[in-house]
Amino acid sequence: GDSWGIFTFLCAALCNLPALPALNCTEELGTSQSIQKTYDLTRYLEHQLRTLAGTYLNYLGPPFNEPDFNPPRLARAERVPSATVDLDLWRGLTDNARLAANYRAYSLLLCYLRALDGQAATAELRHRLGHFCSSLQGLVLSIAGVMSSLGYPLPAGPSAPPGTLVAPNDFLKKMEDFWLLKELQTWLWRSAKDFNRLKKKVPPAVVTLRLEARGF
Amino acid sequence: SLAADPAVISPQDPTLLIGSSLVATCTVSPDSHLKAEDLYWTLNGRRLPATSYTALSPTTLSVALSHLNGSKQQSGDNLVCHSRDGGILAGSCLYVGLPPEKPVNITCWSKNMKDLTCKWAPGTEGETFLPTNYTLKYKLRWYGRDNTCQEYHTAGPYSCHIPKDLALFTPYEIWVEASNRLGVAVSDVVMLDILDVVTTDPPPDVHVSRVGDLEDQLSVRWSSPPALKDFLFQAKYQIQYRVEDSSEWKVVDDVGNQTSCRLAGLRPGTVYFVQVRCNPYGIYGSKKAGIWSDWSNPTAASTPRSERAAGGCDPKGGEQNTTLRRELKQFFGWVKKHAYGCSNLGIKLYDQWRVWLQKSHKTRNQV
Repeated sequence: GDSWGIFTFLCAALCNLPALPALNCTEELGTSQSIQKTYDLTRYLEHQLRTLAGTYLNYLGPPFNEPDFNPPRLARAERVPSATVDLDLWRGLTDNARLAANYRAYSLLLCYLRALDGQAATAELRHRLGHFCSSLQGLVLSIAGVMSSLGYPLPAGPSAPPGTLVAPNDFLKKMEDFWLLKELQTWLWRSAKDFNRLKKKVPPAVVTLRLEARGF
Repeated sequence: SLAADPAVISPQDPTLLIGSSLVATCTVSPDSHLKAEDLYWTLNGRRLPATSYTALSPTTLSVALSHLNGSKQQSGDNLVCHSRDGGILAGSCLYVGLPPEKPVNITCWSKNMKDLTCKWAPGTEGETFLPTNYTLKYKLRWYGRDNTCQEYHTAGPYSCHIPKDLALFTPYEIWVEASNRLGVAVSDVVMLDILDVVTTDPPPDVHVSRVGDLEDQLSVRWSSPPALKDFLFQAKYQIQYRVEDSSEWKVVDDVGNQTSCRLAGLRPGTVYFVQVRCNPYGIYGSKKAGIWSDWSNPTAASTPRSERAAGGCDPKGGEQNTTLRRELKQFFGWVKKHAYGCSNLGIKLYDQWRVWLQKSHKTRNQV
């Protein structure tokens, strides 16, 4: 509803930021803004994914587009890093580890999605996938920006460039595509919480000041 | 979660003609402890009747499908072998459809002799149920090498654009190949000379203005398309106009090659939308006409208020400027030079204001 409108507006405004207004331009200010932007991007992508997944699953056909569809996860599908993690483990992650996990996951997911785009049979799908991949790349870059502003080294790229998820037959490929989209969805849910947690580490006063300066 | 493949389906991902029959088998792996009677089949999420099943062995269950319809989705129909609790053991994608038919109605046009765009229609009413690829190919008539067009969907789903390296004065042979899993179909070859299918941009700078106080006339002026100078062709024009709240266009055909025209027999106090288009002909001296350009963006203007009658296009060129209009034009010219930031001010804006004034007078009078 309304909060969605605010998110899109924030995202658009933040993405169109020219120079910073004349305030105390400390490094912390830049970081908190980057974290906010990354958070907004995950919410935006989550919304975009709903439409993309709907279209793609309809393309795969029933039962893939049925709401309660839950196929087995075959061993092959474990190549995509899982977002699901033990709660205590998640809470205990250092900022560096938290950011690195996000960065690695989305870099890999982006590669797989791009491969999907290459094989998509309809123009509509190619268009949606292409658009989503651009946004997802924006997210990867945004996370890299946060990491470098906090002084963390970027994790090395995917060890073996995965290329396509090579499935031995078309039906198994459909299942892998299904799980790729599911994993992407789970990661976006999780990242919103990751970045929300990181956001809280920046003094809230700084964040408020930024909003007032732009007259929201 | 399972380690090795729990079952194997045969045939895996077959391609079939519409109306054909199929017997598929699902063989469970020895480690799974499942038997043929524990299995069932679904097709696109719908359970298949047990009457179509046959246990071929303790670990193999078959299903018979007949009179198959075209695939429900282009990624193939999902035939799935399940265990009793609903779990998926294996699946196979069925591609059921028709081979493509010859693409037809190939039409091409060249923008200013620089490129070539072609479009075509699929042979069937489009529905092969299988993803079908179209490839446009072309070659110069007496020089053997086939070329393949690369930029698709530039003018609709069945179109392709060849951006460069086009030869003039020798005809091209053009055809479209359609292919899918079930076969290939090649259209008839179309032969054309680039010079015969030339079109150009719509005429730029279309201006519509009043003819002094005459209530039934409007004067239309435009420029010839820029390509006219570069290539040796002449241009003929057509005008179409309509009343603001109607969808019926009136076409003026006998405009010839002038760049102005006077519309007469119009309704007084009415807003008109006017468009102009252009056809290049006499290219390099030939007598043939080219292809009409798109219509220019509609330009609006209104006739002054009062009453009279007649019809057609009066070739008496030029408009009559009233003293007021002349003075206004001079004023705006002066403003542009001396008052920075007023670049939008001009006679055009004045005309738009008059149109707006007309409209608001109309609504006020209607009340």
